[in-house]
Amino acid sequence: MNPLISYSDISITMSGKLIFSIDKLEVPAHQCTLLTGRNGSGKTTLFKIMAGLLKPDTTKIHYQGLDMTWSQGKPYIQKDIIYLHQQPYLFDASVTDNIAYGLHRSGENKASIHKKVMQALEWADLSHLAHRSAKQLSGGEKQRVALTRARILSPRLLLLDEPTASMDTQAKQQTGLLLQRLKFEGISIMISSHETHTVEHLADQHWQLEQGQLNVLKKSPVTDNVTHLNAAKQKN
Amino acid sequence: MGDLSQASVAAFELLLSGDTDIWEIISLSFGVSFSAILIATPIALVIAFFLAFFQFPLRRTLIALFNTFMSVPAVIIGLTLYLVLSRSGPLGDLKLLFTAQAMVIGQIMLSFPLLVAMAHAAFQAADRRAWETAITLGAKPWRAFFTLMYEVRFGLIAAVVAGFGRVVAEIGCSMMVGGNILHATRNIPTAIALETSKGEFAQGIALGIVLLVLSLTLNAGVSIFQGKGESHS
Repeated sequence: MNPLISYSDISITMSGKLIFSIDKLEVPAHQCTLLTGRNGSGKTTLFKIMAGLLKPDTTKIHYQGLDMTWSQGKPYIQKDIIYLHQQPYLFDASVTDNIAYGLHRSGENKASIHKKVMQALEWADLSHLAHRSAKQLSGGEKQRVALTRARILSPRLLLLDEPTASMDTQAKQQTGLLLQRLKFEGISIMISSHETHTVEHLADQHWQLEQGQLNVLKKSPVTDNVTHLNAAKQKN
Repeated sequence: MGDLSQASVAAFELLLSGDTDIWEIISLSFGVSFSAILIATPIALVIAFFLAFFQFPLRRTLIALFNTFMSVPAVIIGLTLYLVLSRSGPLGDLKLLFTAQAMVIGQIMLSFPLLVAMAHAAFQAADRRAWETAITLGAKPWRAFFTLMYEVRFGLIAAVVAGFGRVVAEIGCSMMVGGNILHATRNIPTAIALETSKGEFAQGIALGIVLLVLSLTLNAGVSIFQGKGESHS
């Protein structure tokens, strides 16, 4: 199976310290990948680079048949890849306005946007929150609104940073259910998490970012032919 | 004491009677200061945003410079501008000295560092996730910038209000580059100074009342907006 997107030679240095240097990272299409690693290993940094939010020192991107530098690929990846923070940021507006935010880029008319937002709210079982101020929601509700806001844009890859951190059991279950549905819809998902037990059942493969290198802990049978090996291992 | 109360009563009468000279001075004062803030604000906001959100060489030096320039006395800005705009100065050919335009330029120079410094503080306090979220949801940088401005709107409004308060009440710069010419460049502070020196306390007090009410309102506005900003964050 062809990967959705490939990054090669990704390295980034912050305050003079090399955070990681990854030889090759291929994101499998339509699958869920779990990324683990201790605090400070660079999971968030890696996600931000992948989403076009943070410029690495080096990287090459292969996407949609094109080989690009990070800067050349930025417009493409920002269009198709959505990154969600550990605690998603919702704008100081209603839930409806938050979900509609990204749709304005497509120049759609108001009626069409409204219809899509209502459908999305229904999909996520959030219709009762439609007119609430986003700032007043609980952590679990914010996460679900953020997932709905991302889904409405039909991304090809969702990068979720600790999506169930500091949530109660019920909120974790509801978020897990949404993630399952997103995966079922064919959206590729990468999840970084410490609480592996809450998302492990979703993951087709499990990667670990440790000491600046990416290791494969579990490979999907479908993607066995895809390598995700770190530079040192490959060179050795 | 009796003179003071008589002058105060006369001042209110002047204001309420719609005295043309008084209201012309008030209108010029507001016109000049609004124009200055209107021109300075967009540029200051963009600079403040760049200073808060991006790393580039001399960034820290620029922040220090803007903070330092906040404390430059109005009369020094007036003197500098006077030398630049005077007939023998580098921009003397523009014949701007002793015009309302010169006063606008002076007030832009006066308010700009304050606007940048206060807006920078507001952007600095903004949640960086707001910018990243806007970008990851496909917003173009200019739209993400407006989104971010909305998120920190209370801090930015406080900056604009404080900037307006700084320029509308200044006298040094307006006196030097405006020249305090009746029907042309006489604004509230220069008129107060002139009328008081002539012993015409009623007009001075009338204009003083306007300035005092305005200053108190603006300061109250700054406090309210800053308070709202804190409660939102």
